[in-house]
Amino acid sequence: MSRSIAVDLHVNGRLRELRVAPHATLLSVLRDQLSLCGAKRGCNQGVCGACTVLLDGDPVRACLSLAANCEQSEITTVEGLAHDGTLAPVQQALIAANAVQCGFCTSGVVLSAHALLARNPTPTVAEVREALSGNLCRCSGYRKIVDAVVGVAGRGS
Amino acid sequence: MAEQSFHRPDSVEEAVRALAAGGEDARALGGGATLVALLNAGLVEASALVSLAGIEELARSRREPDGSVRIGAMRRHRDTASDANLRDGQAVIAAAAAQIANVPVRNMGTIGGSVAFADPAADYPPALVAAQARIEIAGDGVRREVAAQDFFRGWYETALEANEIVTAIVVPPAPAGSRGIYRKLCRVAGDFAIASIALNLTRDANSVTWVRCAVGGCAGAPVRIEQAEALLSGGPLDAERLDAAGELIVAALDPVDDVRASAAYRRRVVPRLLRQALEAAGT
Repeated sequence: MSRSIAVDLHVNGRLRELRVAPHATLLSVLRDQLSLCGAKRGCNQGVCGACTVLLDGDPVRACLSLAANCEQSEITTVEGLAHDGTLAPVQQALIAANAVQCGFCTSGVVLSAHALLARNPTPTVAEVREALSGNLCRCSGYRKIVDAVVGVAGRGS
Repeated sequence: MAEQSFHRPDSVEEAVRALAAGGEDARALGGGATLVALLNAGLVEASALVSLAGIEELARSRREPDGSVRIGAMRRHRDTASDANLRDGQAVIAAAAAQIANVPVRNMGTIGGSVAFADPAADYPPALVAAQARIEIAGDGVRREVAAQDFFRGWYETALEANEIVTAIVVPPAPAGSRGIYRKLCRVAGDFAIASIALNLTRDANSVTWVRCAVGGCAGAPVRIEQAEALLSGGPLDAERLDAAGELIVAALDPVDDVRASAAYRRRVVPRLLRQALEAAGT
């Protein structure tokens, strides 16, 4: 077995001092060592988007990121979006629109949409579809998801 | 399983040394979009992973006084898609970058990683050939450049030798007034190409006056046919000329039947993609 290495990760505003396997992915460290299970292990190939997290505000695949390579970045998972118990606007919008079916893709969708809205507070339908094109919903509930994200702009939040 | 190690050197020279010291299964890690997916799937083994993320010179894009552009190997697709240094026909590379996968993958994946993996259906290879780019490579004590056309040798085969890494893509200036066009056909947005066409061309009212054209996804490496380029730029661009150029290109393809499309389908669509790309260039 390989020797673990020391890694300092900044996750949801907290410094986490960890020892990880040299080739451990960020996804496995978040889920298995930090018990942050919002990021899902779907394809583990970077295709499905269920593991999406934000690195310095930009959505990336946690399954394709090595934890040891993330020391310089601020990592945000879906667990880090709510402030003082109040969900982020995009989370509220998805709930209001009933845009969650089985929920497996939802945390990735939330983070991709949150990053989009941070950069572009009033996206068009086409811009929302482009931003979410890397998040597969196998329930195929895209219509409500897109409507909800577009609708955030109209909620005055 | 072999002992695993992780390295994050500050310089190209250190990276090359770490690869050599890491043995046969040592691998250079770019953005992870390809290599980590392969590791997760158990398709490759790595003893030492040498991350290139800490090497500052690889993260920059620079326009030289002569108009050539040096794109560092660790530039993300996201940054290359909007790289204002790429002008005229050089912009074919930005157009290809913008069509890779999806937002999260473009936030991670690097041009050096894509080029070194050399997936025949990837977007950069035909664009780099059309842009007449060169691949800068560093090895033990050497830096060399290989023309993109010679770098991509076949199915996932490149001119890289053991313990060498891609350090930059060097894009020569394109002719004044030239345009770069990239068109790909895929099953769904963000997939790898069934077939793709990259053009770097100049034109006047009725004709293409100069063109570099490469096809992706239809052979082990990008297909560029100089006779077809000469034909396309040899006179008014009418249907006959376009058909003849399309036939020359199709004859040179070596497509396979795969999960995305049949070889026969690829041969049929390439002339149509060529026509669409030329129309997009206003010809």
